[in-house]
Amino acid sequence: MESGYTITFAALGSQFLVGLSRAMILFIVSSGMSLVLGVLRVPNVAHGSLYMIGAFAAFSISSLFGGGSTGFWLALVFAPLVVALISFVAERSLFRHLYEREHLMLLLFTFALMLILGDLVKMFWGADYRSIMAPEMFQGAVPIFGSPFPKYNLFLLGVGPLVAVLLWLFITKTKIGKISRAAAVDMEMVGAIGINVSWVFAFAFVLGCLLAGLGGALVSPTVSITLGMDHDIIMEAFLIVAIGGLGNMWGALVGSLIFGLTQSFGVLFWPQFAIVFPYAAVVIVLTWRPKGILKSVW
Amino acid sequence: MIKREKMTRKFSILGLVLLGCLLTVSLILLPGSAQARNIKVGVIDCYSGPAAVYGIDALNGFKLALSEINKKGVLGKKIEWTKRDTKFKVDLALNMAKELVMREDVDVIVGTINSGAAMAVSEAIAKKEKVPFITWISKSERITGEKGHRYVFSAGENTAMAGKAGGVALSKKPYVKYWIAGDDYEYGHAIANAAWRNLKAKKPDVKLIGESWWKPGEPDLTPYITAILAAKPDAVIFCTGGRSMTNIMKAVKATGMAKKIPIWIHTATDHAVLKPLGAGAPEGVMGTMDYHFYYPDIKANRDFVKKFRAAYGQAPGFPAFHGYITAYFIAEAYKKAGSVDKEKFVDALEGMKIASPVGEIEMRVCDHQVVLPMYLGVTKKAVGKNFVMSTDIVTLTGDQVMPTCDEIKKARGK
Repeated sequence: MESGYTITFAALGSQFLVGLSRAMILFIVSSGMSLVLGVLRVPNVAHGSLYMIGAFAAFSISSLFGGGSTGFWLALVFAPLVVALISFVAERSLFRHLYEREHLMLLLFTFALMLILGDLVKMFWGADYRSIMAPEMFQGAVPIFGSPFPKYNLFLLGVGPLVAVLLWLFITKTKIGKISRAAAVDMEMVGAIGINVSWVFAFAFVLGCLLAGLGGALVSPTVSITLGMDHDIIMEAFLIVAIGGLGNMWGALVGSLIFGLTQSFGVLFWPQFAIVFPYAAVVIVLTWRPKGILKSVW
Repeated sequence: MIKREKMTRKFSILGLVLLGCLLTVSLILLPGSAQARNIKVGVIDCYSGPAAVYGIDALNGFKLALSEINKKGVLGKKIEWTKRDTKFKVDLALNMAKELVMREDVDVIVGTINSGAAMAVSEAIAKKEKVPFITWISKSERITGEKGHRYVFSAGENTAMAGKAGGVALSKKPYVKYWIAGDDYEYGHAIANAAWRNLKAKKPDVKLIGESWWKPGEPDLTPYITAILAAKPDAVIFCTGGRSMTNIMKAVKATGMAKKIPIWIHTATDHAVLKPLGAGAPEGVMGTMDYHFYYPDIKANRDFVKKFRAAYGQAPGFPAFHGYITAYFIAEAYKKAGSVDKEKFVDALEGMKIASPVGEIEMRVCDHQVVLPMYLGVTKKAVGKNFVMSTDIVTLTGDQVMPTCDEIKKARGK
């Protein structure tokens, strides 16, 4: 570097918002993973594949309706449902028989599933890069703190908290949410009082996967939809869940915020080595609290 | 003791008889099979994962050329091919190249999109086993530069050419303060180094005010762009490829960056990048490209595109072009060599000139690197179409963008 540049308050502000909007996608995906981990005790490596399928499904649905704004909104609703359907079939036919197995087996099984789903996506959608456009109202940028901020990221900033609140209401206020929480703590007791645990599991699994699909659909206007998306997200989601506290929904939120914000501030302060920041944060958090910041349900 | 000696003799006689039988059988079979044997090309490339899109396109171009070549044949033979999926992995590529040479007994190896794999195959197989290897779309300049040798050729463009094209183009612009950002792996850094080296040489007053590097395929590049905008450079050089390419174009569009700061990205004008973005691609981005199906608008290119469309239902991308010329280089070299001999093939290929969709091209003697022009253009929405393409195209000739033979010698330490 031959001459420097100064970091202004405005740059800090816009970087904060950008990091926050990235954290929202991470939260939506990793909360789903956390739910599956907490209730079913399944470390689902194929969670990233469902996120990828969500993005590809969003592409197909959006192009089916001409690729405009209507297409986008329909994709946002139906792509997660497509993923939910796939995960329901997977749960009833495969996962259901494996809950009693040890974690290593489950890891291997879900890893195999990830490879299979990746190949199926290639067979179904091909290897080409795909892309969908944000609806017209969210195209372009608005100036915030004097620098352009993409409107779509503003939209993400709204969706993230909405999903968080809905999840919270669902888990604390509905009967099935309460049963899921109870099953996470003591599955046998839940079974003993006459509740069909198998269906509770199915429900939690499908909900978790639906969140992966929603994340995929939400991210699709900002990135290229391509094979390999699954690998990118799964690593980050696992780390987020680990630093937040395994199976803890709010932990996923805290972890996502740490991950998204350290990344965007890292880019601003030390751009050559920005990649390192989120991972350094993970190392620091895990050294400080090996079981994650919030209480792990494991 | 005597008994054992007898035994040994018995076995050695049996062994001799067996050996004799084997020799007779092979003597009967070998000359015949050698005569009828076709020319065999081993293809190693990535056919799964995100890079598959390039591997498949290159193979399609190669197959199209072979279907034309095999109508007449070469030296009274046909050119056959067999492919292996490297899954973008260096170790797999090495194993497969080895298997193609040892078991399939291929005459030439071609491939791959992965520069690391190309370099490994070049060193461990081509150089060691003396089997010609032609890389078609891996872009590391080291393959035919510093690490070049007798048995490796490149029918593709490379980072030195792309970077020099960018450096030369930018040196004519008034910008002084630059920011460089890109994929944190060899391709990104190689383009950045070549572009900056050439820009600085032609225009010594340019300044690099900052750099940022992200991991290849990084999904959200918005934080990088907002940080760059905050530093207010005069122009930005993005050094990225593959799926990061689409991501950066989306982030450039979403932040309206192209309207604020001039940007140069090698391959920004690639149709494979722009087509999926549709009308959502940013306009006003400077890009360089080694091949467009719509440029140069000459008969040879139009014919190639027409044939490709008829065969595969879509326009050829740059990999298809390189696959296509690779096949013609192979066919012409065998014709010139007059036999299926690996050494004669290498001699024939050196300095070979062939007709191609972009005009006559040459395989340079000094570094075994094909001499190709580079097309500099600006992204703009195509009239009456729903996608963005390269416009105001300026052709930078091969001499303008290639490193000189002296530079190659220097890089190889001779």
